[in-house]
Amino acid sequence: MEQPRINRRQALGLLGAAGAVTAMTGLGVPMAARAGGAGHVVVVGGGFGGATAAKFLKRFNPAVEVTLVEASEHFYTCPFSNWYLGGIKEMAYIRHGYDELREHYGVHVVHATAEDVDGDRHEVRLSTGERLRYDKLVLSPGIDFDWDGLAGYDEAAAEKAPHAWKAGEQSRLLRRQLEAMEDGGLFILRAPENPFRCPPGPYERVSLIAHYFKQHKPRSKILLLDAKDNFSKQPLFLDGWAEFYGDMIEWVGASQDGRVVAVDADRREVETEFGTRHRADVLNVVPPQKAGFIARRAGVTDASGWVPVKPQTFESTQIEDIYVVGDATIAAPMPKSGFCANAQAKVVASAIVSEFAGHAPPPAVWNNTCYSLIAPGYGISVAGVYKVIDGHIAEVPGSGGVSPREADEAFRAREAEYAVNWYEAISEDTWGTRFRG
Amino acid sequence: MRGVQRPGERTAHWALMTTLAALLGMALAGVPAWGADDDAVQLRHKELLASTCFACHGVEGRRGEEVPALAGESFRVLRAQLLAFREDEVPDTTVMNRIAKGYSDEEIEALARYFSNLER
Repeated sequence: MEQPRINRRQALGLLGAAGAVTAMTGLGVPMAARAGGAGHVVVVGGGFGGATAAKFLKRFNPAVEVTLVEASEHFYTCPFSNWYLGGIKEMAYIRHGYDELREHYGVHVVHATAEDVDGDRHEVRLSTGERLRYDKLVLSPGIDFDWDGLAGYDEAAAEKAPHAWKAGEQSRLLRRQLEAMEDGGLFILRAPENPFRCPPGPYERVSLIAHYFKQHKPRSKILLLDAKDNFSKQPLFLDGWAEFYGDMIEWVGASQDGRVVAVDADRREVETEFGTRHRADVLNVVPPQKAGFIARRAGVTDASGWVPVKPQTFESTQIEDIYVVGDATIAAPMPKSGFCANAQAKVVASAIVSEFAGHAPPPAVWNNTCYSLIAPGYGISVAGVYKVIDGHIAEVPGSGGVSPREADEAFRAREAEYAVNWYEAISEDTWGTRFRG
Repeated sequence: MRGVQRPGERTAHWALMTTLAALLGMALAGVPAWGADDDAVQLRHKELLASTCFACHGVEGRRGEEVPALAGESFRVLRAQLLAFREDEVPDTTVMNRIAKGYSDEEIEALARYFSNLER
């Protein structure tokens, strides 16, 4: 075989990789030598990032041994949970399992909670008491809520004023409350400060709840209290709201006193920065967020609560042999989206497989396409292509951007179709989920 | 030209692109084949590049529903199509023009090669 042709940057990367490969494992043997070009990778978290990482490690090199640790037998996606809330999709549509990973790819799937990580010993401790030894660890922990970040809002409060920002039971609770609400009621959504999971999510959510109200409870109102003055796809959402929902949706930005600082879940009441109180019939609080628990236990988070990573490989900047993907990472300008988690996981899988084989990782490339539905048959999108430029993750100049504001009806209808296509394609890519009918 | 294309006429786009591909034929003749002599890094680079398309076009580009399937399409057509998206020359595009602008000539060739080498 020919020697790989590499440029200077790749050569530097290769030196780094070689350094890591010769680092001694607990057994005192260089890992690549011990594992014969493969090794054992433990992946924690079975969402878009973790399931994709497990699958693509196997796709890129079936000899790599992969163990996926995920507490739940099913994963409910945040993408399309707004479609469920709006009455457009059933809950079963957003549920995914691990059969393909287990049966087709030979991934060991362990349903347990990862409780601790010992980076020195290369071990993960599970809720079952078992300890898993790894050559490489991939964490895809998603988000946790910062229960200290918003006065009055904690786990108990979320049972009355749901966040529904991790899909599943919380989504069902919010849906039941919307169904029980009388016509003429007020729905309030509290939108968080940056950064948070799914930047367009709160705005798609009010759109699809407005769609539900318009059909079943047309005298109802929606108040969106925002901790920011700008949001994702803002002009497109504002245009769409005016077109479909008239004055049903009122958005209040931070400088107009939209920032919620305290929540009284029993009274379904919120207080804003300048002291205004609003009482809702249904209150949806999207709280401040941080990286998921296991990232903090592993010691890969920084003072921001999120995880700094090396751009080229998404290996932690703080602890060797731990890679982190998805919403938990500091990957701006990439958004915290399922699409990005999937794309990051592929980059991580290729980097790990390359390192096991003693090669430099291929140049990283990620993309993102994120659709939001404003009403059935009316979709909008934002896209981006990202690479490592001058040592940082950057959007490729001239690429990406949002749907044009002046687009016609047919354009919006196609983006609504493509939204469904995207969801089904990425669900198959990630979990092997097949859709019928 | 935009005026005569109607929304939804995707087959027309492919016909247009086939013509475009024929016109580009001479330029393409100079493109080196990126095949059996791939080294591991290049191969993985191509796989990684292509895998980012799966999230919409399906695993191995085989989902031919709302969006076109990519697997088994000819190299010339795929390459010409991607270049045309990048230059905003495909009428009624929604997102592929925004995405194609993120890829270099070499990456576009690698993508076209990857998907053209797959069975439909």
